[in-house]
Amino acid sequence: MSPGNIREQDLWEQVTRMLGNGRIVLGQHWSYNVHNDPKRLAFVLSRYKFAAKMACKGRRVLELGCSEGLGAPILSEFADRYTGIDLDSEAVAAAVANWQDDRCTFVVGDFLGRQLGTFDSIVSLDVIEHIDPAREPLFFDTIRQNLDTDGICVIGTPNLTSAPYASAASQQGHVNLFDAGRLRRVMEQVFHNVFLFGMNDEVVHTGFSPMAHYLLAVGCYRRKDPL
Amino acid sequence: MEVKDLMAHRPVVLGRYVAYWLNRSPRRALHSMSYYKFAAKMIGSSKRVLDVGCGEGLGTWLLAAECGYARGLDFDQQSIETARGNWDDPRIAFGSENFLETDMGTWDALVSFDVVEHIQPANVAAFWERTAACLAHDGVAIVGTPNITSTPYASPIAHLGRSNLYSGERLETEMRRYFEHVFMFAGNDEVVHTGYLPMAHYLISVGCRKRG
Repeated sequence: MSPGNIREQDLWEQVTRMLGNGRIVLGQHWSYNVHNDPKRLAFVLSRYKFAAKMACKGRRVLELGCSEGLGAPILSEFADRYTGIDLDSEAVAAAVANWQDDRCTFVVGDFLGRQLGTFDSIVSLDVIEHIDPAREPLFFDTIRQNLDTDGICVIGTPNLTSAPYASAASQQGHVNLFDAGRLRRVMEQVFHNVFLFGMNDEVVHTGFSPMAHYLLAVGCYRRKDPL
Repeated sequence: MEVKDLMAHRPVVLGRYVAYWLNRSPRRALHSMSYYKFAAKMIGSSKRVLDVGCGEGLGTWLLAAECGYARGLDFDQQSIETARGNWDDPRIAFGSENFLETDMGTWDALVSFDVVEHIQPANVAAFWERTAACLAHDGVAIVGTPNITSTPYASPIAHLGRSNLYSGERLETEMRRYFEHVFMFAGNDEVVHTGYLPMAHYLISVGCRKRG
């Protein structure tokens, strides 16, 4: 057949045969987000990509607050293995159904104070703002006890300065919001080295932190004893 | 009139390097200042920073103003004189030592942009050893260099003297010999990001927790 005789549809069918026949059914939380605020998918995937680039290649990764496991494919892509834990059993059921990979494990339960193993990296996005301030020390104790001595930790949370623009539902759940200064201080109690980034929508940057919508802190070189 | 009074008059003199950028490739000045800003944000405040290969010290001043104190170092005597002429401030100092031959003491952070690609292959190990040696145990090294994949687009003058160009992979590998933690960033023009490294015009690696 001469090149001029290739039918576009035949060519496209060759492409589709290479795709396999995968199927992913999003759980309640992410289905709601996709229906109501689809750009949030871009923001959240961008946070996961940043965490993956900072901390996940060739490493044992723990995600505290994995929800439906949307971060698992990105965090585990180049990782040695991945464990996600979340309180929400329905969300974890969606994660288990969707991300069947020998290197990925999902756990239902409260991670506060829990020993899940020893990990090279801990990622926790959109979690710390939901932790009662009285239990915040326990959150960092949990990180310390699950992280190997040469581990890296990536924490992401909405900036306190963005609170006036948050939805009513978000405001209800956010009992422990951080500005950049406080996020740096709490991380520096655990780690010698803390690198702080800001995010506006899907863009990660190092701009003026009070105008960042979201904050990301990367901590490494864990202190022997917390400050 | 009042605004002008507030500004005083302390003229900044740009020497032959920065003047060349601004005359021939003005965006280059923007890219350089953006990478220095990124370094300053990684380092944080109340830190003592050594800027290796500081040139005329524009970036050194950004580090001094953002981080607290910066000392620029360049073996180009004329650049150092330009730098000294511009800033009379306790937060900044300059010297013309040869980094490869001088014990620079102990610092919270080391910044080195557009230096390592000019190091002769026989001196590359010495460059990294000096880099690690002048940092405190919790010190941070920030090393930036053009990506070898951008070589076809480099101007003849930029190309001259770059005998030691790096890919992202090689930069990460060499940094990891000296630092337990290495974070790799990409620069395309003034934007610093974490995208696919072979398409990055510029590479910036952040290393901490020095080994040994």
